[in-house]
Amino acid sequence: MPPRLHSPNLASALTSCTSAWSQCIAQPTRISREFSQTSCQQVTARRRRFYEWINGPGAALRQPLPGSTNYLGAYDRYGNLVRASPGYQRRSKDQPKTEGEESKPDDTEAKAEEEEAPSGQDTIDELEMAVRRDEESARKTKSKEDAQRLAPETAEDLRPFPQNKFFRSQRVLSEDLREAIYQRVTKDGVTVSLASVEFGVSNERVGAVVRLKQVEKEWVAQGKKLALPYAKAVLDMLPTTPYVDPSLPENKGKRPITHEAINDLIVHPATRQQLFVPVAESRQFTRVDAGKAFDNNLLPADDRIPHPELVLAEREMATGLSFEERRRLAEERLAAEQEKKRREEEARLAELRAQKVVPKRRWDFVFKDVSVEHAGKDGRGVKGVGWRYGMPHEDRKKGQVKIPTKVKA
Amino acid sequence: MVVRIRLARFGKKHAPFYNIVVAHARTARNSLPLEVLGTYNPLPQPPRPGDTHGRPWKDIQLDISRARYWIGVGAQPSDTAWRLLSMVGILEPKYRVGQVQGQVIKADSAYKSLVPPPTAAATETVAST
Repeated sequence: MPPRLHSPNLASALTSCTSAWSQCIAQPTRISREFSQTSCQQVTARRRRFYEWINGPGAALRQPLPGSTNYLGAYDRYGNLVRASPGYQRRSKDQPKTEGEESKPDDTEAKAEEEEAPSGQDTIDELEMAVRRDEESARKTKSKEDAQRLAPETAEDLRPFPQNKFFRSQRVLSEDLREAIYQRVTKDGVTVSLASVEFGVSNERVGAVVRLKQVEKEWVAQGKKLALPYAKAVLDMLPTTPYVDPSLPENKGKRPITHEAINDLIVHPATRQQLFVPVAESRQFTRVDAGKAFDNNLLPADDRIPHPELVLAEREMATGLSFEERRRLAEERLAAEQEKKRREEEARLAELRAQKVVPKRRWDFVFKDVSVEHAGKDGRGVKGVGWRYGMPHEDRKKGQVKIPTKVKA
Repeated sequence: MVVRIRLARFGKKHAPFYNIVVAHARTARNSLPLEVLGTYNPLPQPPRPGDTHGRPWKDIQLDISRARYWIGVGAQPSDTAWRLLSMVGILEPKYRVGQVQGQVIKADSAYKSLVPPPTAAATETVAST
C-alpha cells in the first residue's frame, strides 16, 4: 500500500510547479474547499473521491436529523436513509410547519420507546410491551402523512462504526429523567435503591446522577455558565431513555421505561477463577458455601446483588402469602430502613453540633472536641487522637490503598 | 521544669501535620510528650460538599477541657498554641493584629466622615497667605 501522506518536500515541489496549479484551478468543486488550510492543493484520486462523497451521499450527514443519531450506518451508499419509507422526503429547516407537525412530540417519544428494543435483551418483555403500546397509540392517532413519517431507528442505525457490526451505541439518560431522579431522591427523600427500582436505572447511575445534578445546581447558584447548547446538541444525536411522567394524563397506567438491567451480579475478582471443589454427596452445598469456596470473606451471590429486596418480594409471593401480609412485611422493612436513616442523620447532626467553627479572614478554623482518654494508658489506643509515637509509617507497605476510594457529595 | 503546650510537627515533606502536645520545655520537638491534646492540620481543606458558597477550612481536633486543665496548672502555651487556644476561648487573644488594624481603619473612616477633605480653593488660599 502506498503511503497516504506525501512528504512535504514533494508536495511543495508539486505546488510550485505551474502545471499542478493549473490543474487545481481547473477543478470545479473548488468553492467547497474554502475550509482547507493545507498548502497541498494537488488533485489525487483520494481527494476527488472524498469531495465526490461529501457533495453527494455525505451531504445528508451535514445536518443531523432531529431526534435521531447521525451515524453512517443509517444511510446506504447513495446517501438515502435506509429506514425511510419510499415517499419520505427530508424537510428543510426554513420550510414552514404543516399541521401534521402537531403530533410531533408524541411521535418522537414513541420513536424513543421503540429505539430501545434492540439494545436491551434482558428486559425484552417490557420493551415489547412498550412497542406494542406505542403501535396501538400510533394506530389510534392515524396521521395523514404516513409516507412522511420516519420509521424508528433499528439496531442497524445505532452502529456508529459501519465496519464494526458489534458496536452499538447505548442509550443515555435524558435530561428530564435525570431531573426526575434527582427530585425523587432529594425532595422526596427516597433511598437510592428504591429510586433505582422505580426508574429502572442502576444504583451506581442513580448515585452519579444525584451527585452531578447537585454539582450542576451549585454551579447555577454560583452563577457559573453551563455549556447547555453543547449538551443539547450531543443529547439530540444520542439515543436516550425518555422520562414517562406519571403525573400527565396521557401517561396514566404507563410504566417507566427501563434504562438497564438493575439487578445484575457484579463479578467479584475472587470468582474469576475456575474451582473444582470435591464435596461429599451427603453434604449440603449451598450458595453460601460456594462463596466461601472462592474466598472466606466473599458473601454469597444472594447478598451481593444490588437489589436483594426484589428477590425477597418475589420469594414472599411464591410462598403464597396474602397481599396484606406481604404489604405488612414490606412496610416493616421500609420503616426499619427509615429508622436507620434517621439515626444516621441524627448522628451526623450531633457531630456537626459538637464542632466549633471560628471564621477568620481567609478560612474557617473547625474545632472538633476529642478526648485524650481514647489513647489509653500506654497512649497507643486505636481511637487515640494524633500522630502515633514509635510507629513507623505504613504508606510504603504492600497493599496500602492511596487512590481515593470514595467521592464526597 | 516548665511545662509547655506546643506543636510537634509530623507529616511528610510539604504536607505538615501537627500534634498539639503538652511536654517539658527542654525536650526535643518530636519526643514522647506528657500528653497529646489534639491535632492541627494547617493545610486548608476544600469547602465541604453541599456548601454552595463554602469557605476553605482547617481541621483542628482538641480536647478542650484537658487543655483548660493544663492551662490551669501553669502550662505555658507557645505563640501558635496560644493563637489556637484563644480561638476556643481558653485564653485571651495575645496578638490582635487583625483586630487592631480593623479598629484603625474604622477610626480613620469615622474621622474622614466628620472632617471634610480640604478643597482646592482652600489649599490655594493657604498658598497665597
